[in-house]
Amino acid sequence: MTIRAKKLLRVGTVFFAVVATSGVNAQQSPTAVKAVQLTGLPSVKDNAKGNLTVENGYLHFLSGKTTSEVKATSIEDVVTGTDSQKAVGKTIGTLSMAAPYGGGRFVSLFRKKIDTLTVEYRNAEGALHGVIFTMPLGTADAIKKELIAQGAHTTVAPEQIGSAQASPSTSLKEQKQ
Amino acid sequence: MRYRACLGTFLCISSLFLGDRALCDGKKTVRIKAAGIQVAMIQSDEIAVPAEFRVALYENLIRQLEKRGFQHVYRDGDRKAAGVPNVVVLHSTVRRFKAGNEMARQVTTVAGATSINIHCQFTNAEGQPLLEQDVTGNVRFFGGNLRVTYDFAKKASRIAYEKFSTRD
Repeated sequence: MTIRAKKLLRVGTVFFAVVATSGVNAQQSPTAVKAVQLTGLPSVKDNAKGNLTVENGYLHFLSGKTTSEVKATSIEDVVTGTDSQKAVGKTIGTLSMAAPYGGGRFVSLFRKKIDTLTVEYRNAEGALHGVIFTMPLGTADAIKKELIAQGAHTTVAPEQIGSAQASPSTSLKEQKQ
Repeated sequence: MRYRACLGTFLCISSLFLGDRALCDGKKTVRIKAAGIQVAMIQSDEIAVPAEFRVALYENLIRQLEKRGFQHVYRDGDRKAAGVPNVVVLHSTVRRFKAGNEMARQVTTVAGATSINIHCQFTNAEGQPLLEQDVTGNVRFFGGNLRVTYDFAKKASRIAYEKFSTRD
């Protein structure tokens, strides 16, 4: 009976250790978010797709072979917002307008919500740059929190996000009527 | 006889056109010379404008000014502009903003237009105004709401190009 109890205790300890280490690893590894850079990053083309991470005090955007980074402490403002995007994509969306019997307009109704992340930062010469990213819904806040934790500034504190999004950014939301 | 009347009419009309053109040439505005143009961040104190719109307006404005051929386009706060004499500073303040609806635009083709009205003020480095004008950006049919920022930037850069010259 005691041997069984010891075995259970060992298994429990091992299990707890595994869970604890995986939790630590999850906290340490930066979360990569798939994003689209709409405009603003100097060396990256507009509407470039890539991965957005916050690591070692920098915001990294990796698109193909191009990497662009912004120092978190140089960020003067980071704001999140919710917008919506045509699930069918830009080109198909435009082409679908020409579909017969008004079919394109029906296709236009299918949209998915996206998050936007707007970053304003100053470069070494003090020049102000603005960058806009879009990403899957619910991922922008995590990036914003990580940036603030690593020294970025914001005019909308994370606890105010809910109320702030309700005022100006809701005007951007597509209203399905 | 009829031929002569036609010829006379033709000559009258052509002289009118030529005279009009000569008058237009006489009115040709002189562009103010400037060493460079600095773009200040878009202000929206009176009206709540989403951050992505302000940033898109600013970035598009810089890009369009560069496309117009301005040799030195400086960003807000750029220390390089401080040492340059005769720099024109462009201040933009949002006066009116109506967020439209992309879906409504595509579905109805008449509703859902997005429009933005911005007061543009060109000043010298000391802050003395050189030119003031309201510019309106619209997106009526194709494109997302942010396209309104591109429309504004094109119009504002055209005004800057017509009034200021940074070429030696």
